[in-house]
Amino acid sequence: MGAPYVVEFFPWAYIENQKGEFDWDHADALVDHARQQGLTVIARLGFVPPWARPEGASTSYLDPEQYNDLADFVAAVAEHYQGRVNDLTIWNEPNVNFEWGQRPPDPAAYTELLKAVYTRAHEKNPDVKILAGALAPNLASPGTPDAMNDLAFLDQMYQAGAKNYFDALAVHAYGWKAPAEEAPSPDRVNFRRTELLHNVMLKYGDDAKHVMLTEGGWNDHPRWTKAVTPAERIQNTIKAYDWCERTDWVDVCALWVFRTPAPTYTFNDYFSFVTPDFDPKPIYYEVQKYARGE
Amino acid sequence: MIDPSKKQKFVPHKRDGSKIENFRIGSLPPALLALALLAYLAYSFLFPPAPSKPDDTWTRIQNEKVVRIGIDPSSPPFIVDDGKGNLSGFDVALANEMANTWGVKIQWVYTGFDGLYDALNAKQFDLILSALPYNPTKTQDVYFTHAYFNGGPILIVRGDDATTTDLDKLQGRAIAVELGTNGDAVARKWQKRYNLQLRQHNTAQDALRALQKGEVSAAITDPIAFYDFQRAEADTGVGLNAMNWRIVGAPLAGENYIIAVRRDSPTLLHEINAVIDELKRDGRLEELQKENF
Repeated sequence: MGAPYVVEFFPWAYIENQKGEFDWDHADALVDHARQQGLTVIARLGFVPPWARPEGASTSYLDPEQYNDLADFVAAVAEHYQGRVNDLTIWNEPNVNFEWGQRPPDPAAYTELLKAVYTRAHEKNPDVKILAGALAPNLASPGTPDAMNDLAFLDQMYQAGAKNYFDALAVHAYGWKAPAEEAPSPDRVNFRRTELLHNVMLKYGDDAKHVMLTEGGWNDHPRWTKAVTPAERIQNTIKAYDWCERTDWVDVCALWVFRTPAPTYTFNDYFSFVTPDFDPKPIYYEVQKYARGE
Repeated sequence: MIDPSKKQKFVPHKRDGSKIENFRIGSLPPALLALALLAYLAYSFLFPPAPSKPDDTWTRIQNEKVVRIGIDPSSPPFIVDDGKGNLSGFDVALANEMANTWGVKIQWVYTGFDGLYDALNAKQFDLILSALPYNPTKTQDVYFTHAYFNGGPILIVRGDDATTTDLDKLQGRAIAVELGTNGDAVARKWQKRYNLQLRQHNTAQDALRALQKGEVSAAITDPIAFYDFQRAEADTGVGLNAMNWRIVGAPLAGENYIIAVRRDSPTLLHEINAVIDELKRDGRLEELQKENF
């Protein structure tokens, strides 16, 4: 398809199933294969193992007492994959209750988590980039227990002192029904909401830091309320890549999702570029043409 | 005729009808065993266990004269809520046919699409009828009825084209598709083999208009878009009508819509299948499609 990057999930529970015992077998195979295809891997780290969380807690639940355990894991990943995987995303969508251990999102706690892992990772691999954020774009009102507005969450991360504890901001840029070029606005979830997140970075003097889109895009399910038509999805996707190309503070534009392992028989199947059988969808060929400059 | 309600003991026979003595499964060739297994699986799929034991759900439907149907009412043109609690669409029409046949009323139970299977198995309703695509990963959890609609892309030609009987007859000719759809994907797959000249349009309507104007020899769209176009054009009095278009063969890919019931509802399953089969046989199902798409 012409993609230079791939975002892959490295579940903590799979690799460090017992404290201090690391099983790199599957992750190594994945990294080796991706590199053989010319792909740069961005690792998404999360999925708390049972030994690091209370019994019955979800895999996104981590108490502050266990932040150093996560730091040990991140440091081990940084060391093991030095020179092969340098971009590590810490957690996924911590501004959503579901991704924060079924608790109200807490930007200060997430910042503490970043502080715990940042220095340890850099000690093991000076070239490592710690990606923070990966926030779920949403318009939740203040006090909503299920989710916290992504702009507010990032602002409060800075207020909690996150600035010196991440190297790039991971952004999830979903367009829903809006065209790629629609201007950003705090009361709209659209692709260019990314610019509003960047504005928060600028507000706190974080000018030198770049953004990496690690999720995003459009869905073309025939009936889902947030979907566009297949043609609109293709056109928006190409425009999104083009916008990233032209925006000097954006380094990566990785959209959701190349493939799902199995069909879900829901709207989720209509985010992918190839089927579970690796059958390319038309959007795959259109992106390929764009990547080739055709 | 096979009576699926009666279990039949398998007794091996020779060709002349005499019993094979000391028969052992292990003495059969592997290929024959595999074939037998496949035949059994196919039979099990086509004829799931018949009502050999009481079906409490069907009994309750009969006693209370109410069937409870789980829906996500956000799937036009299958099921639409007008905001005042009035439902319409193809699935609603099909549900009405079932209820009329059984002499019962319908109680609609609203559920988000992702929660339909869980709610069914939690007995919050009796069946799911909600633009539900066949899902092979759920066959251990529920029974699926016969398909009542195939949403796969269809090949359409003008009515005066009597020679196009399949894609093979379109060698080197131009075909219109809606960019990015399953129809587009199918056309791209066959493009090299038949040297098809693909004309990609942003909407199904544009693709069909290209066929209407004779700019292409055929169009591939999804059937809902086609019926929708047909109706809209008929309303204007200038469009395609029954005289000047033809659907060529079966859909080019399968996207079957089915109804799901719990695995403890074999009688309900058979009763639904009987309604679907009868509607297919007498042409009423196609009429309901045309009325609602």
